[in-house]
This record gives sequence, structure tokens and C-alpha cells, in this order.
Amino acid sequence: MFTLKTASYGAGAAFALMCAPAAAKPIAFANGSTFMAEYGAGTMMEAQAFYAPTYWLSAGGGDVRFDSDITDRSRDIAYLRVNYLAKRWNLPSAQANVFVWGGLGSATGDTFDGSRLARNAGVQFDVETRRVYASVKTDLWESSEFSQRVDTLQLGLAPYEHDYSTLATWFVIQARDYTGQIRHGVEWAALVRLFKGGAWIEAGLTADGKPQVMAMFNF
Amino acid sequence: MKRIKAIVATLALGVATLGNAATIEMDVNGLVCAFCAQGIEKKLRAYPATSDVIVSLEKRLVAVSTKDGEDIPDDELRRALTDAGYTVTDIRRVDETLEAVRARLKGAEH
Repeated sequence: MFTLKTASYGAGAAFALMCAPAAAKPIAFANGSTFMAEYGAGTMMEAQAFYAPTYWLSAGGGDVRFDSDITDRSRDIAYLRVNYLAKRWNLPSAQANVFVWGGLGSATGDTFDGSRLARNAGVQFDVETRRVYASVKTDLWESSEFSQRVDTLQLGLAPYEHDYSTLATWFVIQARDYTGQIRHGVEWAALVRLFKGGAWIEAGLTADGKPQVMAMFNF
Repeated sequence: MKRIKAIVATLALGVATLGNAATIEMDVNGLVCAFCAQGIEKKLRAYPATSDVIVSLEKRLVAVSTKDGEDIPDDELRRALTDAGYTVTDIRRVDETLEAVRARLKGAEH
């Protein structure tokens, strides 16, 4: 059951960690479209498409699938979502953001018949300079059959300061925690992120040797 | 005769100056990510008066050149950058071509 208590717990956990994210921002720029696909170590797979009419709002949809490491169960959720930039700080050499989002979807899974209405809410805080990046986000999914959260913490370091026309390289450490009988314990991963122009690719391995790959395109 | 030549030269110079493209530099806060600076470039290129755009993360600078005899008012530039999600701290016209600004920025990198 989605309750104010669980939502505030998720948000509270995110802000308590207060480190970084690096998950890609859910809003790239005004009048911009974003396509993103992620393969998360065999536990989570997600594809999203968003359009942003302004720099502080985007809307779109996606599909996320969870395959539990604990049991054989899996869940698939097709959803529509709205992302909102709640706060941005533009400093001379840094930027920080708070994003929130919410949505509705249709969930199917092998622990129940048919489909169920799924509700989604999340928050992300990120801060970055040209050498250091940090973000934390929490993504909550609820339906009449399940409740689960994915909390992701990322810390990135750039070996050099990139510019607009040059390739950006980041080394990222990620900690991810799944609730709702998806996975036990924190999943650690080391990733390399490259981006230039409107294309971004991130790839690496989790501590138990599973691949994680994410690609994103903005235009 | 000399006076007439001087007047003609002055007028010619004036006309040439009026016809020259302008270069506008803007200091921008929050300019740390190339991925996101795309939005600024897209927004500024949408102006009919825009000839070219440079974004420098290193110098936290956005430079725009306009087409001959055209200009973009400061308040429109400020609005464009604000609508892109950034904060403009200064706008100035410079007596340089955009290519010269590009060369200056490149020189500053080395």
C-alpha cells in the first residue's frame, strides 16, 4: 500500500544519504527529448522516453522489469510519469538539483494473475562540478500486490575537466539497494561513464561480476 | 578635396560598422555539464538573428554572434538562459569576431 509514511521514508532515506547520484537527470533541457535504457546486473531492466517542454518539467513513459535474486519472481511495470525539477542551485563552478517524480502504470508479475494498477514516486538530489559528481535517488513502486523501493547512490570523479566539445569521462562508484524481496544487501558497482554531445554511455561491473550498462540520448 | 575624402572615409567606416556582425558574451553560473549545455545552444540557435554560438565550460562563458546588422536584446538573452535553467551574471558586447573569441578561449586552455 502506498502511504505517506512509506513515501516520506523513501525521501528521508535519500536525503539522509545525501551523496550523489549520477543517475542521469530526468529532465535534460527545454524542448528536449530523452531516451534512456538500462540493464542493471540482471536485476532491473528499464527503458524510458521523455519530452521536456521546459527545463523544469518533463513527461513520458517507460517500462521496468525486476527479476528477483532471492526468489524466481519477476515484475514488469509499464508506466507514464511526470518529472519535476523542484529546486536548482546554479553556482559559479557547480550545480545542484532536486528532482521529484510521480506516475501510474500497469504491473504484471508471476505472483498474481492479470495486471494491477501501480503507483510510482521518487526523488533525486544531485550535485556536480566538472571534477566531482554525487547523487542519491529513491524510486518507490506500490500496488495492491507489492511494495518495493530502489535506492541508488553514486559518486563520480572525472580524471580531467571536459569542455562542451570534448569527451567527458567519469569513474563512478554506485551502491544500490532493492527492497520488496528483489535482492538482499547492497549491490556495489564500479562504472565508467562517457558522454559527448547528446550521447551518454555508462558500463561496468557489480561486485559479484554482473554487467551494468546504461545508454542515454538527448536531442 | 582632402576634407571630402575624409568625410567619405568616415561615412564608409560608419556604414561598415553598422553592417558588422556583433559578438555578445555572457557569464553564466551553473555551467558544469556539457550534456546539459546542449539546451543553451539549442535555445540561442533558435533566434533568427543568431549566426553562431560558443559554450565554454572552462570559462563559464556563452558567446553568440549575430547576423549582419542584427542584435538580440539583453533581456531576451537573459530570458533564454534562464529558460534553459541557468543564471546569467553578466552580458557584454565585445569588439571581436566569434572566431577570435574561440581562438582566445582555445589559447586559454593551453
